[in-house]
Amino acid sequence: MFKYLNHLVISKFVMAFSGAYLLLFITGHLIGNLQLFMGREPFNAYANFLQSIGEVLWAERIVLIIAAILHIITSIYLKLHNYKLRGEKYAVRKYVKAGLNSRTMIWTGLMILAFVIFHLLHFTFGVIDSKNYNYQELYTKNAYAISFAGDIEQANQQSMSMEALNPEPIVYERHDVYKMVIMDFRNPWVSLFYMIAVALLGVHISHSLQSAFQTLGISGPRFTRFIRPASIVYGFFIGGGFLIIPLSVLLGLIGGNI
Amino acid sequence: MSLESKIPAGPLEQKWQKHKDNLKPVSPANKRKFKILIVGTGLAGGSAAATLGELGFDVEVFTYHDSARRAHSVAAQGGINAAKNYQNDGDSVWRLFIDTIKGGDYRSREANTYRLAELSSNIIDQATAQGVPFAREYGGYLDNRSFGGALVSRTFYARGQTGQQLLLGVYSALSRQVGAGSVKIHTHKDMLDLVVIDGTARGIVVRDLVNGKIETFIGDAVILATGGYANVFFLSTNALHSNATAIWRAHKKGAYFANPCFTQIHPTCIPASGDHQSKLTLMSESLRNDGRMWVPKNPDEKRPPEQIPNEDRDYFLERMYPSYGNLSPRDIASRAVKRMCDEGKGVGKSRQAVYLDFTDALGRLGKTVIADRYGNLFDMYDRIVDENPYNGPMMIYPAPHYTMGGLWVDYNLMSNIPGLFVLGEANFSDHGANRLGASALMQGLADGYFVIPYTINSYLVKGKPAAIPLDHPEIKKAENDVQNRINKLLSINGNETPTGLHRKLGKIMWDNVGMGRNEQGLKNAINQIQAIRDEFWHNLKVVGNDSYMNPVIEKALRVADFMELGELIARDALERDESCGAHFREEHQTPEGEALRDDEHFAHVAAWEYNQDKEPIRHKEELNFEFVEFATRSYK
Amino acid sequence: MKVKLHVWRQKDKSTPGHLVDYDVDGIEPDMSFLEMLDILNESLILKGEDPVAFEYDCREGICGCCSLTVNGIPHGHQKGTTICQLFMRKFSDGEDITIEPFRAKSFPVIRDLIVDRSAFDRIIQAGGFITVGTGMAQDANSILIPKKIADLAMDAAQCIGCGACVAACPNSSAMLFLSAKSSQLNLLPQGKPEKLKRARAMIAQMEKEGFGSCSNHYECEAVCPKEISVQFIAKFNRDYLAASIKEGA
Repeated sequence: MFKYLNHLVISKFVMAFSGAYLLLFITGHLIGNLQLFMGREPFNAYANFLQSIGEVLWAERIVLIIAAILHIITSIYLKLHNYKLRGEKYAVRKYVKAGLNSRTMIWTGLMILAFVIFHLLHFTFGVIDSKNYNYQELYTKNAYAISFAGDIEQANQQSMSMEALNPEPIVYERHDVYKMVIMDFRNPWVSLFYMIAVALLGVHISHSLQSAFQTLGISGPRFTRFIRPASIVYGFFIGGGFLIIPLSVLLGLIGGNI
Repeated sequence: MSLESKIPAGPLEQKWQKHKDNLKPVSPANKRKFKILIVGTGLAGGSAAATLGELGFDVEVFTYHDSARRAHSVAAQGGINAAKNYQNDGDSVWRLFIDTIKGGDYRSREANTYRLAELSSNIIDQATAQGVPFAREYGGYLDNRSFGGALVSRTFYARGQTGQQLLLGVYSALSRQVGAGSVKIHTHKDMLDLVVIDGTARGIVVRDLVNGKIETFIGDAVILATGGYANVFFLSTNALHSNATAIWRAHKKGAYFANPCFTQIHPTCIPASGDHQSKLTLMSESLRNDGRMWVPKNPDEKRPPEQIPNEDRDYFLERMYPSYGNLSPRDIASRAVKRMCDEGKGVGKSRQAVYLDFTDALGRLGKTVIADRYGNLFDMYDRIVDENPYNGPMMIYPAPHYTMGGLWVDYNLMSNIPGLFVLGEANFSDHGANRLGASALMQGLADGYFVIPYTINSYLVKGKPAAIPLDHPEIKKAENDVQNRINKLLSINGNETPTGLHRKLGKIMWDNVGMGRNEQGLKNAINQIQAIRDEFWHNLKVVGNDSYMNPVIEKALRVADFMELGELIARDALERDESCGAHFREEHQTPEGEALRDDEHFAHVAAWEYNQDKEPIRHKEELNFEFVEFATRSYK
Repeated sequence: MKVKLHVWRQKDKSTPGHLVDYDVDGIEPDMSFLEMLDILNESLILKGEDPVAFEYDCREGICGCCSLTVNGIPHGHQKGTTICQLFMRKFSDGEDITIEPFRAKSFPVIRDLIVDRSAFDRIIQAGGFITVGTGMAQDANSILIPKKIADLAMDAAQCIGCGACVAACPNSSAMLFLSAKSSQLNLLPQGKPEKLKRARAMIAQMEKEGFGSCSNHYECEAVCPKEISVQFIAKFNRDYLAASIKEGA
């Protein structure tokens, strides 16, 4: 499967394609996360919606995992390979155009990897800090049920008795992702860690967006003039977008009702 | 030894075709059995190697560079001529031929020059097919520009890097053959001697510049395409490594050296800025398409050039040569510049420069068009001189550039040593006493692509020469000579570097054998060169040894040969008691100061034979003009 | 002017090298950088020492011989300029200047500042050409090439094969060199028939020679004395991608 690594340019295509997929995912992830600012209900509804489309979600996750593995393995391989091919180190070295972002891709990448592992254990598997992870919330899809003011038994009984009208329960229990996030981010260490990590992600992306286009041969005088600054803007958008969530929690701008 | 030019009989237009028809090719099965050694990978050597390899010969090619792509052909800027008549301005093979003969001041062979003009078109086709990105018009057709000495627009170009692009075309063709295994290339190999056995050229002695090892390669024919010798002047537009050693060593092994005094001084070069100067940089002749040369009328002019009004400027080329104006041939333009400076009208700190002004063209065409045509040259000028030519005129002065002289060859490009062929600038054949702009690239490629692949058969058809062992006494002797020469250089241990002595030689050459020559000066030069040569062999300092890459030895070997060649140039200039083309003897000039030929006594090629320690022997090859008539060159 | 040089000296491929300090005095601002080195070398020879070996030839920025890394930048700090065309007026009096060879594993040092760049030749030999024999060509005007395409091909064709792109690349990648040559030919109608084959052959040789992969740092473009654009790398990638899809890796 990894025979392509013998071909430098093919490896670059793998980097670009897998990176492009990861970038798409991250963009979607960010848009989803920003719903936190819309409040507890829409956010938990969103989380619940994702859970409800099980097969599709898993298909997406499998692609994502493959893309991540390819991206990581290829980048580490290329880095080691290229490192071997450098001559003796320059005694004096000055870069004219290569920015810190492009030269540190492997390091920002590895740090992002470490972060992602933490992030999965934290929010997806709930291994870390499981107290916050296990919050549950009651909710309803039905405006009628609101009059029962959260009494799940009563509401559902009432609902059953009106079976002909509405055969399903109208009040449910669901994972309170909103509360979990708010509670976790109130811990300044967790927030700080997240903020550093997503800032690095932004730096990583500021190089990678235009780099993917360049590698895949999508280029031209006008496009280049657009995509290079656009890539930096995009890095700021992703990094900043993720960053304001813990920041806002820390500052008490959201989640005050919990 | 007689000088038989082997020019085929018959009408001029049919000579080459008939000759080709009469040459019997080597059978395809036998070609592989012939080993051909080629020295030089420029336009001539590279194209010959690629073509002969393609034909099936066993080719080995040598360069002292690290890569075939670095040969000095790479530096040619302006363009390459071809009689395509794409412009519908009346060009034809005949017109290109006449322009070249006339430009050369009737000192070249009619048949050779005609062949060159005839082949010019094929070169453009060949280069285009190889992917040379010649300039195009919007419609997709090839663009042309004008060059000196012609009234038609026939010069094809690739920005200001035509030589580079043509060389890269040659290099790619050569690389294809190397990749296919039909040509073997030896880099970092400096040819230091020719092996002549039983009167035929059989091999070369080379020195590996990386490890100093001396080796001999044996072949069935040797082709020298090692360029010109303008570096004898020390300061020239040639690359610093360009040298005469290969042809000079061949000359010392019996090859005749023809017309060594025909050295071209190019009018538009960036003037030297001081004693530290290592070389001079050419500003392409193509600049004279749009640039106007002038000096202030008043020698005491103090105003900066932009403030001098038109009526106080002397556009001297336009004044002296109204019909050709700024596009007069190089020798004419160079002498006009020299005359202006001699009259005290020179400009700049040294007063050894004139203006080349683009103000009119910039006004007429705009900066974009000018930048498109000459951008890289303007940038180069700006980098070197630190003045922006878009804002004010350039300052330029003539400098040695090209050498029309070289080893004598017949119509087949074979020297008087059987089996030794000489191509490109290294031979003397096509340009007479002065070369027109954009013709050097043409000659190099014509020789390599289209002449030698046919004419080499004239020699090979005699059958494969006998095999020679590597320990043949002649080879041992040649190798020992080379080793002894190096040992001698290493043993002198004096106080002057090779470069220092070269600089001194160059000054003697420039002062006495440069643009203006006279009997007394030439005699003095010969004495001075002998003295400096003596100093060289007694006061030279070479450091280190010859077991590793030692650039001092490399340089010393080349300067040693320049020291001998310089004297031959002066001697040839002295014997040629007339003015013609670039060879200007002050004793022979018209009242207006133009070159005055002596066709009765000097319509011949002077071919010099090396004569050990005695004076060299001058042979003559009469030039018969059957198809054109002598005329006084006039560009008025 | 006066400068303090720190020059890389290395006897040969197998001997380790080191920086040696030299003071050079009597420099004119109108001298080129290489003429400044000439002065140093002349003085070394007269002292009986081996001069600093460095490559040069045309000294007008076209042959591609010169190959010095000056103060950490291949060809020095002037944009779009070979080191032979960099003049001392661009340095300040008394400046410290470090001179090193072009460094990359595939460019082994031969001596001092001279490196072996024959890998470039082998890449061209593998496929950097149009397969056309002498004498086959049709009339040059029978191939129409729009000015825009011809100009773009010329932009790519300007490459002088100096290797600064490799020397500047943190990965020692030769992609700018490869892409310049192949783009020139791939853009022109004459070169189109071999487009895919050429891209694959050149890349295969590049990998064999031990050049690294491109990470789009664009440092190559920044130091290229002919300012060749990295857009040619994108184009080359495109050609190679097409070749890989059509014919497999």
